[in-house]
Amino acid sequence: MLINSNNKTMTLKQFKIVKLAVVFLLAVVFSQAIIFKNYLIPIIVLIICYLVLFYLRGRVKEIIADERDYLTGGKSALLAIQIYSWVAVIAMFILYANRDLNPAYEPVAMTLAYSTCILMLLYAIIFRYYNKYKLNDKKLIYTILVLVLFIVLAIFSARLFSGEDNWICKNGEWIKHGQPSFAAPSVECK
Amino acid sequence: MENKIKELRTKLNITQEELANQAGVRRETIVFLEQGKYNPSLKLAHDVALALKTTIDKLFIF
Repeated sequence: MLINSNNKTMTLKQFKIVKLAVVFLLAVVFSQAIIFKNYLIPIIVLIICYLVLFYLRGRVKEIIADERDYLTGGKSALLAIQIYSWVAVIAMFILYANRDLNPAYEPVAMTLAYSTCILMLLYAIIFRYYNKYKLNDKKLIYTILVLVLFIVLAIFSARLFSGEDNWICKNGEWIKHGQPSFAAPSVECK
Repeated sequence: MENKIKELRTKLNITQEELANQAGVRRETIVFLEQGKYNPSLKLAHDVALALKTTIDKLFIF
């Protein structure tokens, strides 16, 4: 068994095995979701997996990460954000400038632009929090993260499922509804 | 930063793993500390000094 039944604890090695299994499970679920075009199941599975790992992490009595890991993680995260932002912004400008060549470039450019903005906004909020308040109030950090995630998802869902500025399939033809910023879908309209 | 962690640890006959457990860090952190490749926080320096039955100023060479 992966959890020691006598004291309900887990070793770091066991936890890593479970984490690897979860990654495989997620990969399978995500690939199947794309094939069957069901996007609700992977989100539910992702949340369940996160909760399971969160619970199991509490069962590990060994030290998973210490101050050096957090320091390295912080530096790596900052560098990753900077690299991603530069690459995304340059790619966004190139794609947007060449949108006449292929209309599909515009939504990709917009996605890159918005994702960069959200990433920088999140970084600024979290940095401000860490800079101003104490560093070990995990409950408040999780609350802020959940709130930010909820707001981002709400905006994204409202934009995606509102039906405004989209292409509608009518009598075998794609008809503009509002002012969609992207080209008509390439899939056949039935 | 130079330090006497390895010297004192050997004198006390304790392993890196044992010192790591006492200081509440991973073994790799002790390796980096001994090699002088990582500057610890004040708390970690205190915990390591405590585990090696010494003080911070005697453990680290400033």
